Amino acid sequence: MNNHQKNRIIDLTFKVYGFLFTAISVLILFILLYAIIKAGYSRINWDFLTGLPSRKPENAGIYTAIMGTFYIMVVTLIISIPVGVGAGIYLEEYAKKNGLTNFLEINISNLAGVPSIIYGLLGLGVFVRFFGFGGSILSGALTLSLLILPVIIVATREAIKAVPSSLRDASFAMGASKWQTIQYVVLPTSFGGILTGIILALSRAIGETAPLIVVGAMAYVPFAPKSLFDTFSVLPMQIFTWTTRPQTGFAVAASGAIIILLLITFIMNGIAVYFRNKWQKQLQ
Amino acid sequence: MDGLAKNLITMTNLDIELKLLKEAIIEMTDLVTNQVVNANEAFLSMDTDLAYEIQHNEQKINALELSIDRDCEHILALFNPVASDLRFVLAVLKSNADLERIGDYTYAIAGYVIEHNKSINKELIEASQIIAMFDTAISMLRDIKIAFETEDVKLAKKVYRKDADLNMINKQAADIISKFLEKDGTLTTEALYLFSTIRKLERVGDHVKNMVEVLIFYVKAKVLKHKDIKDKKK
Amino acid sequence: MTDHVKDKELKLPKISAEDVNVFYGDFQAIKNISMDINSNTVTAFIGPSGCGKSTFLRLFNRMNDYVEGFRMEGKIKIDDNNIYKKKVHVEELRKKVGMVFQKPNPFPKSIYENVAYGLKIQGISNKKIIDERVETALKQADLWKEAKDNLNKSALALSGGQQQRLCIARTLAVEPSIILMDEPTSALDPISTTRIEELIFELKSNYTIVIVTHNMQQAGRISDNTGFFYLGELIEYKNTKDLFTNPKNTKTENYISGRFG
Repeated sequence: MNNHQKNRIIDLTFKVYGFLFTAISVLILFILLYAIIKAGYSRINWDFLTGLPSRKPENAGIYTAIMGTFYIMVVTLIISIPVGVGAGIYLEEYAKKNGLTNFLEINISNLAGVPSIIYGLLGLGVFVRFFGFGGSILSGALTLSLLILPVIIVATREAIKAVPSSLRDASFAMGASKWQTIQYVVLPTSFGGILTGIILALSRAIGETAPLIVVGAMAYVPFAPKSLFDTFSVLPMQIFTWTTRPQTGFAVAASGAIIILLLITFIMNGIAVYFRNKWQKQLQ
Repeated sequence: MDGLAKNLITMTNLDIELKLLKEAIIEMTDLVTNQVVNANEAFLSMDTDLAYEIQHNEQKINALELSIDRDCEHILALFNPVASDLRFVLAVLKSNADLERIGDYTYAIAGYVIEHNKSINKELIEASQIIAMFDTAISMLRDIKIAFETEDVKLAKKVYRKDADLNMINKQAADIISKFLEKDGTLTTEALYLFSTIRKLERVGDHVKNMVEVLIFYVKAKVLKHKDIKDKKK
Repeated sequence: MTDHVKDKELKLPKISAEDVNVFYGDFQAIKNISMDINSNTVTAFIGPSGCGKSTFLRLFNRMNDYVEGFRMEGKIKIDDNNIYKKKVHVEELRKKVGMVFQKPNPFPKSIYENVAYGLKIQGISNKKIIDERVETALKQADLWKEAKDNLNKSALALSGGQQQRLCIARTLAVEPSIILMDEPTSALDPISTTRIEELIFELKSNYTIVIVTHNMQQAGRISDNTGFFYLGELIEYKNTKDLFTNPKNTKTENYISGRFG
C-alpha cells in the first residue's frame, strides 16, 4: 500500500485507541461512582448531615466533620491567599532575575511535590508543640496553608505571566506607576486564573487526611468547633475512622460521607472550570 | 468620485492638494486669457502702454507656471496618485506648458505693437479677418476654462472644432495679404506684423487644442491625439 | 500647494535631541543623533527594520527604561527641559507624552473604562469631569458615533481599526501635548489605515505628532518632516516634500525608491 493509505490507517488507529482509553477511564470512574452511591445512598438524610458522631453506626452523623472541614478551609484561605498571591505577585513583578530568585523558584516548585505527611510532621513540631497551639483548627489551618501555598504561588505566577506585556506597556505609557499597573491592569486581568488556582488548591486541601491526623484532628469530636483553638475533625478523617470500625453500619456511613465529600469536590472543581472559561473568554 | 466612494472617504490630504492644483491651473488660464484679450485690444488700437503691461504680466505667468510644475511634482512624489487622480495631474502638467506658450505668444504680439507703434490699414485688417481670429481664440480659451472647471467633454469638443476656423484664416492669410501688397507696396511692414500676429494666433489655437485632448484624456481616459476630428464626433 | 507658513522656526522646538547615543549592553543602537521637532507638526521616522527608529521614538517617553542594559548619553529636551535628568518623574512625563502602539492594545475592560483609565490613575474621581473627557476624547478620535451607545461594551469586541482609535482616544483623554505613534496602522486594513491617517492630519493642529512607519507612502501622505534612519544613524532629516523629491543622500534615495530595505 502507498504512503497515503498507510497514513490514513495510522490516523484511524490513533483515533480508535484514543477513544477506547478515554472510554475506559470514564467507565472506571462511573463504576466507582456507582458502587459508592449504591453503598451509601441510603444513609444520606437530614439526620446524617446534622447528626453528631456516635458509637452506634445508625446514629452517627457527619455534622461536626462538615463543620470542621468548613472552618479549617476558611482559616486556611484567610492565611494562604494573601501570602500565596502576594508571593506570586512579588516573584513575578518585583523580584530581579538573579540567583536568589532562581533559588526561590526551584524551592517553591519542589515544595509542591513534598508528601503531605511531611507537612503534617512539620505542623506538629512547629505549630502544635513549639508555638503551643495544640491540636487545634489554627494548627491544622496553618499546616494546610503551607501545603497549598506552592500551588497558589505557581497558579498566581502563571496567571500573571499570561497577561500580555502589551497591556503593561499601554498602562506605563499612560503614566501609571508599577503598583497602579498591577492593581488596575495585571490583577483584574489575571483574576480568573488566580481564582482558579485558589479553588483547585482548596479542593486538594479538603481531601488531605494525613497531615491533619498528625497534627491532631480527632477521630471523635462530639461538638462543632467554636474558636480557633478548639479541637476538630474533618470529613476525610471521619471517613477514615469509620472504615476502620468493624461494624458494617459504619461502612455504609463511610460511603455516605464519601458521597458528600465527592459532591463538595465536584462542585468546587465545577466552579473553578466555570471561572477559568470566563477568564479565557475575557482575554480574547 | 462616484456617490458610494464619497460616502466611504472624506476629503483626504490628497483631495485638498488636487483642489488647490485645480484652482491654480484655472488661475493660470484666466491670466493667459486676459493677456490675449489685452493683446487683441493693444494690437487693434496700437496701444503701447497696454503692450508694456502685457509684457510686464508675463513675469507673473512664468512664476505661476513654475509653481504649478513644482506642485505637480510634489503631488506625484508624496501621494503616488493613481487612476483619475494621476490623469488629472498629468493633464494639469501638460496644460500648464501649453498655457505658458500662449503667454509667450501674447508677449511677442505686444512686442510687435511696441516696435511698430503705428496704426494699421483698416481694409487690410478687415480682409485678413484677424478680428475674427482674436475673437475665436479668446472664446476658445474662455470655453476651455469652463470645460475644465465643469469637466464638460461636449464643450471641450466644441472648442476643438473651433480651431479649424483659426487654421482656415491662417491658411488664407498669405494669399490675401500678398494680394493687398500687390496693390499697395507701402503696406509691407504693417502687413508683416499682421501676418506674424496671425501666425501666433493660429498656434494659440493649437495649444488650446492640446488642452482639449488632455482634458478628454483625464475625464474619459481616452486618447484623442493624432486622430481626425471626424473620429471624435462618434 | 500652499506652503505652510514657517514662523514656527522662531519658536523653540517642542522636542530637541542633542548628541544622543543609546546602548543596550555593548550594542550601540543609536549613533550620535541630533534633531529638533517643532510644535504642531507631524514628523515621520522611516527606515529599514531594526535601524533604531522605534528605539529613538521611545526615548521621548522613556519607555526604553524598562529594557535590560539600556544606557543613554546626550540630552532629550521637551519644552526645553532635559527629560533624562534624575529628578524627572517618569509618570509626569508620560502624561505630557502619549503613545500609541503597533498592535492595538485596549485593556480587557469596557470602552468607557479604557478611555477613563488615564484619568483614574491621576486620581480624578469626579464622574461628570470623567464623562466629559471621555466624550471629548472619543470625538477627537473619530469613535464617538460608533461608541456612544455602547460605552459599557467590552473594548475587545471592537474591530481592529476601532480598537486602535480607542487606544488613540485613551491617549487623548489624558490631554498630552505630544503623541508618539509606533507603526500605528501596520496591523490594520487599508480603510482603517486611511481613517487613522485622516485623524492624524486633524490632530496636528492641537498636538505634536511623531510617527514611526514602515510605509513610505504613509510618510509622504501625512508628515511635514521626515527623518530617514539607517543602522542607528539619522541619515537625512528634512521637509517631507524635499526629502521625497530631492534627497541628498544616495542611501535615502535608494530606500524611498524601494531599491533596498
